[in-house]
Order: sequence, then structure tokens, then C-alpha cells
Amino acid sequence: MSRLLGVIDAATVMGGLQDLTLNRSVASIPFAGRYRFIDFVLSNMVNSGVDSVAIFPKHQYRSLMDHIGSGKNWDLDRKRDGLFFFPPYFEPNETTSIGSFSRLEQHIEFFKRSHQDYVVIASSYVIANIDFEEALAEHLIHDYDITEVQHNGKSLEIYVISKALLIELIEGRRRSQFISVSDVVKQPLHNYKIGAYDHKDYTAIIDSIPAYLKHSMDLLRHDVWSRLFTQDRPIYTKVKDEPPTKYSSTAQVSNSMIANGADIRGSVENSIVSRAAKIGQGSKVKNCVVMQKSQIGNDCSLEYVILDKDVRVLDGTSLKGTAEQPLVLRKGSVREAAMVKS
Amino acid sequence: MVKKKCVAMLLAGGQGSRLHSLTTKIAKPAVPFGGKYRIIDFTLSNCTNSGIHTVGVLTQYQPLVLNSYIGIGSAWDLDRRNGGVTVLPPYTEASGVKWYSGTANAIYQNLNYIEQYDPEYVLVLSGDHIYKMDYSNMLDYHIQNEAEATISVIEVPWDEASRFGIMNTNDDLEILEFDEKPAEPKNNLASMGIYIFNWKSLQKYLDQDNLNEESSHDFGKDIIPLFLNEGKRLMAYPFEGYWKDVGTVKSLWEANMDLLAENPGLNLFDHSWRIYSRNPNQPPQYLAASSEVTDSLINEGCVIEGKVSRSVIFQGVSIGTGASVHESVVMPDAVIGKNVTITKAIVPGDITVPDGVTISPADGNEEIILVTQELVEKLRKDVTA
Repeated sequence: MSRLLGVIDAATVMGGLQDLTLNRSVASIPFAGRYRFIDFVLSNMVNSGVDSVAIFPKHQYRSLMDHIGSGKNWDLDRKRDGLFFFPPYFEPNETTSIGSFSRLEQHIEFFKRSHQDYVVIASSYVIANIDFEEALAEHLIHDYDITEVQHNGKSLEIYVISKALLIELIEGRRRSQFISVSDVVKQPLHNYKIGAYDHKDYTAIIDSIPAYLKHSMDLLRHDVWSRLFTQDRPIYTKVKDEPPTKYSSTAQVSNSMIANGADIRGSVENSIVSRAAKIGQGSKVKNCVVMQKSQIGNDCSLEYVILDKDVRVLDGTSLKGTAEQPLVLRKGSVREAAMVKS
Repeated sequence: MVKKKCVAMLLAGGQGSRLHSLTTKIAKPAVPFGGKYRIIDFTLSNCTNSGIHTVGVLTQYQPLVLNSYIGIGSAWDLDRRNGGVTVLPPYTEASGVKWYSGTANAIYQNLNYIEQYDPEYVLVLSGDHIYKMDYSNMLDYHIQNEAEATISVIEVPWDEASRFGIMNTNDDLEILEFDEKPAEPKNNLASMGIYIFNWKSLQKYLDQDNLNEESSHDFGKDIIPLFLNEGKRLMAYPFEGYWKDVGTVKSLWEANMDLLAENPGLNLFDHSWRIYSRNPNQPPQYLAASSEVTDSLINEGCVIEGKVSRSVIFQGVSIGTGASVHESVVMPDAVIGKNVTITKAIVPGDITVPDGVTISPADGNEEIILVTQELVEKLRKDVTA
């Protein structure tokens, strides 16, 4: 049985990703054709043997709850331990800093009741394949109070801490003035022994729209996806029961990642196409991310465009962004040729 | 147990010997189909989509894969507090192990299972066919016609009728006679192996049949005649739509190719009648810059670097650069090496086809090649020689 308790702090707000977070939290932004951001850290926890995971959402968490459900897809629908969803009580000025003590305090019973002695507190948006058991081993060898998981010296806002210290910090927060685990790590003046665990393998932090597109494109590199999607540490997600993808006689696909249930009749190059998306005949899609159930009609031309879910691009539409400024079509929106010409 | 209106009994013990190496280790219903499914997914999905949530699955031949595949039925939403899916293998009694000696005998040996739900109707299905059907419509038809038994039938071409169990009916589709593979068919309505029985009558005739030592304990040959002899009302339920018995390598290949039509007879993309299956949970498929994919179905987890045309590719398959796969079916986790040419073949799961090999039927040969480990070994030697 794992000694680690998992906490995913899904309260993060990222201004740079606003176009994709109008109806959802950062944690539930779709990525890599069939996943959501949170799938990576949640699967990492499960693959590290963590049996009990608590998710602390804050904003717009309907889509997150819908995605996670009972935790069945992560094998977390358990009688003992399993998945816990802890929505916040209303606190207007509450911090979104990772591991917020006031947010954790609202559900402190969870920590007190759990049998695990250590806690991994993680942000919801790191795209990586991390073994938290290794981070815990590092934490124990060096006798750190808090271990920060880093990649090339940059914080991933993932922390390993003993449960006893976490409860002490939560309960003493009014006296100490520390607002979160992340805050303790950043403050220089205290006696806690802060250490770092360097996750050397592939890691992406997506904090802006251009970064979203860049990291999506990176998935097309063999050295990236082969390290992110391994057979022994798979990334789990909500199952959708889509059929295999259908390619017509006019399909032309090159260097692209295509999810199930898609219907490809046009040309797709350097792109990510998600579940049940449609690309019409004569259309050219290049350097794009097409999210779930979006439909591109016939004879369209799209370059550097991110289509959120359920977007419809009508026949003959041309849209062009750039790598630095990709065009984002918001969830459920409709684009037609006339709108571009005017 | 909570009483159920209708309990389904799914016969999944078929050996499928004409599928050769595909069924040496698994039963026919477990054979992969359509890029992501197993044959039994279609019947199980039909059950769940028809609102029939109590399903007994009768296994016998090579049941390991099938049993673990079905599990508690959650993939088909059949993990239910009351009912749900139950795998029913043959079991031992004080007198010895009783193998299922026929379709009717398999049901007879599981009368206890049905009894605990005290249903009004029993739906008997076979796990060997590819089709989509709303059994609740058939049940309504059965009830409206006040039949004792209803058998689903499909029109087959007259010249093929002698290959099927044929129902001879009157104009109102009342069944007068059952002809098993008639040399000179009088009708072209073939039984699809889908039966609805009034539970009490079925119980009675199964008991009767069990005492008959001459009986082959088969629904078509033995049980239906018992109903007919006593003048019971038997109805034929006409089914229109795609239905295929994939009992041979050729028909399995054809049914896969059928899915590639512009408007296939069986639409896998219909969200109102989804076909469910155990999800392999693999990342999306990757099509490299060197790939060329047309007229094909490809499932998740594949890495395609070669050319694929008119083919069905299951999850986790990799196809190397310079390879060409045409009019073929490649089953889960097979590896097609570089510069391989494959035409009109079925490549079973986990097989590795070494670089540079060609697998194609000789000119004029209509047979579909079933790739085997032995064939691969032989070709490997030919290439290196």
C-alpha cells in the first residue's frame, strides 16, 4: 500500500489560456486528441501506486466533475481510499496559490482520517510522466521537510510533504501567515528544509495559447510521444466508445495525431485531431489543433488555428493564425466564409 | 431476485473451426472485428441498447479470453445491481461434468439461472453475428402476435438458401415448418439464430427434449419442431438491415471490407446505437509524414509510416516505412515491418511480419490469406536466403 496521499489542486487560473477556459477549468483543457490536462498528473499518481486522490477544484468545475466521474477510468472507484472531490466553500478572496491552506483546511478531516503518512500536492496542468515514488524516496533520503518537483530548475508546483507537517502548516496558518505550500517553498525566512527533486524526462507547462499550440505540435515528435505515452505507465482518460477513425479515398494525412471516431476526407498536416472530429473533402488543415466533435466543412483552409470543442467551420472558409498568435475558435462557435472576406 | 420481463441467453461457446488459427486459442465470439471490437460486442451492445440488461453468456470452447473480456460487463453498461451480465460456463454435478451438447442443452443446463428472474420471455441469441438490432421491437412484435415463440428471419438470395435454416411461413409470417439446410428450399427466409420464447413454454419443451435420447438438443432441429407439433403459434420476425455470419476467413474479411463503403450497411458512427467494447486505452494514432492512408479504418495506438489502403487496422499496430497494406485486416498489436507488401490478407494479433516480405494471393486466386506464425517463419527464411 502506498504511503502517498495524492492532492490535485485544480484551482489554478491562467490568464494566458482564457480563450480555452471560458467554460472549464485549466485542469480540464483538452490536450493530445483525447486527454484533459488533469489526466497526466492523475495518471502519474495512479501509476506511482497512489490509492487515494483528492481533487480540490475552484472555478468552472462542472466539466472537470463530468470528466473524472467516480474515478473509474483511473481505477479509483474503491471502497477503501479512491477518489475524492472537494469543491470549495465560498471564500471571495481566496488564493489560487498551489496547496492553499485555507482551501485544504475546509476538508482537513480527509487528511486526518487517511492512513497515508505523506502527501503529494500537485498542480493540475503539468504534462509529464512523473514517478512520485521516486520523488518521495528523494524526500526521505535527504530528510527534507518539503520537496519541490522541478524540471531543469523550474518549479512544477508539485510538492512532497509529510502529512503531519501539512496539518501543522494548515492549522498554524493564521499565526505563520503562510498561505500555501507553494508560499512556504518560495519564502526564504523559515527553518523548513526545502529540497528539490528533478524530473529529467519530458515535461511541458502550458500557460499560454502559443505554448498550447507549440506543445501540441511537439507531441508529433517521436522522442516526445514515446516518452509521454509509455506502455507501463499509461495515461488514462474518460472512455468515449468512439469507433476507429475513418479515412476516405480523398484523405491525405501527414505527421499528425488523430484520435478515434474522426472522419477524415481532406488533407491534414502537422496537426492534432481529436475524437469524433470531421474534416471535409478539399479542406487543408495545417499546424492546427482540432478538438472533440469539431467539424470542418469542405474546401476550407486552416493554418495555425485551435478549434475548441463543437466548433463548426462552414464550407469554403479560410482562417489563418501564426505560430506566435494562433487563432482560437471558441467552444461551440460557427465560422463561415463570408465573415472572413468582409 | 427482482422479477425481469425478459432475460437474454447469449450462446458464445462456438468454436468457429473454419476460422482456423484465429480460433485455436479463443472462441469465435472473441475474434476481433471492425478495427476495435470483438464479434460478441455487437450482440452485447444490441442487448444494452435494446434495454435488455439481464444477459447470461454461455461459454464453453476456449473461454479464458472471453470470460476475462466480458468481466462484470461494465464496458456494455451491464454491470447491474439486479441482473447484468453473468458468464455461464458448463459446471460439474455430483454425476460428473456436463458439457453443453447442443444449443438447447446449454440453455437447459442453465434453467436455474433463468428461473431466479422469473421472466415472461426469454431471448436466445448467438454471439457469432455482426448486426445491429433492437430486440425490444422484436419483443413487441412477439407480444402483439400472441406467439409462443418468435424467430428473427432475414431474406437471403434463393441460390444461397440451402446453406441456412429456412422458415417456411404463410402470408402472415406464421411459421409452418423449419427446414435445416434444405436441398430444395421452399422459402428464402433464413433463421438468424435469434429466438424469443414464452418462458413457461420454453421450460416445458426443454424438459421434454432433455428426456429424448435421440435429440441433438438443437433449437432449430429439435425445439422448434416440438412447438410446431403441438400446433403452437410461431412467428417469423422479418429483419431488414445488415446481418452477417463471419464464420469463415473469407466472410470475416468481407464483413470488415463492408465497413469501408461510403455508406456502409452497418454504421459504426451512429451515436444513437453505439457499439461498445473494452477500451484498450491507447494514445491517438500517429500518421507519419511518410504515411499514405486512404479508404481505411484505423484505431488508436497505431503508428503508420507506410501506405494503407482499403484496410482495417486494429489498435496498437505499427506499419513501417515503405510498407504497403492493401485490402487487408491487421489485428491488435501486429507489427508490419519496413517495405512489406500485404494484399488481401488477415494478419492476426501480435504477429510480426519481418521487413521486406510480400504476402499476396497468386493471380486469379480469390482466397484470402490468413497469415500464421509458420507462414511468417517461412517468408523470413526466404527473404534472408
